[in-house]
Amino acid sequence: MSDPLIQRLSALPMAAPTPARANRIRMRCRARLLKQAPPEPRVFAPRPRTAHIWQPVIAMLGAAYLTAVVVQALRVYGLP
Amino acid sequence: MSRARSSRVISSVDRETELALVERLRRGDADAFDEVYEGFNTRLFTFLLRLSRHRDVAEDLLEETWLRLVKHARRLRADTRLGPWLFTVARNLYVSYSRARMLEDSAATSLIALWPYSLQRASPFEAVAAGELERRFERALAMMPATAREVLLLVGVAGLDHSDAADVCGITPEALRQRLHRARETLSKLLEQDAAGAPLLGGMTSCPTR
Repeated sequence: MSDPLIQRLSALPMAAPTPARANRIRMRCRARLLKQAPPEPRVFAPRPRTAHIWQPVIAMLGAAYLTAVVVQALRVYGLP
Repeated sequence: MSRARSSRVISSVDRETELALVERLRRGDADAFDEVYEGFNTRLFTFLLRLSRHRDVAEDLLEETWLRLVKHARRLRADTRLGPWLFTVARNLYVSYSRARMLEDSAATSLIALWPYSLQRASPFEAVAAGELERRFERALAMMPATAREVLLLVGVAGLDHSDAADVCGITPEALRQRLHRARETLSKLLEQDAAGAPLLGGMTSCPTR
């Protein structure tokens, strides 16, 4: 910046907050930032074995029910 | 009052370092926050103190500015430019503060007019300015309208370039150049008046607007 007035402005003294206040601001912000840190990545534990057993049973029962519904519907309409 | 210029260091940091700092902030890295804080705190505080002319107000606004950075750290865009971002927040906080203050003060205006003593007080900078020329600058700056003062502070004191300062003020670079030109003329006139011993009239009767 070649403007002498602006140069003079840039040479004016800087100011700082009181050290105690500055430290408090920094600590408060650091604490808040750390609080916002993303949670540790979840470790997915394998599901209990019982879940694996029930799933196909429920699926088979659902399929049987749907088949029965379709068969009943075909009978109502007289279709073979 | 510190004459140290250490706060200017980050302004000369290359863009890659700034982008890395932003990335670390987005991840919640507290050490990155410390680096940004070291780099900008003095400049931000000086800007806010010269705008508000009250140390306690400037400290409150400074704290709120940093808290905003922390609050938005995760949502910062990867290409965020920290200087303009921080000065924009600081400036907007000051605008909100002065608008609220004007509303509060409007009821007391008639009483202030009747007050028998001069309300013109030395600014915090004026009180400690080392040389007569510095004191004249501080007096003149303190007497300028806030809209003119802020562009001089952003360009002259904070060291932002015209484009960044325009972003901070929410105006086009061309409008900023015009505003800066007028502010410079006002400052020159006030300095001349001060040198001639004429009383400096005016004062901070407005708050910055877009």
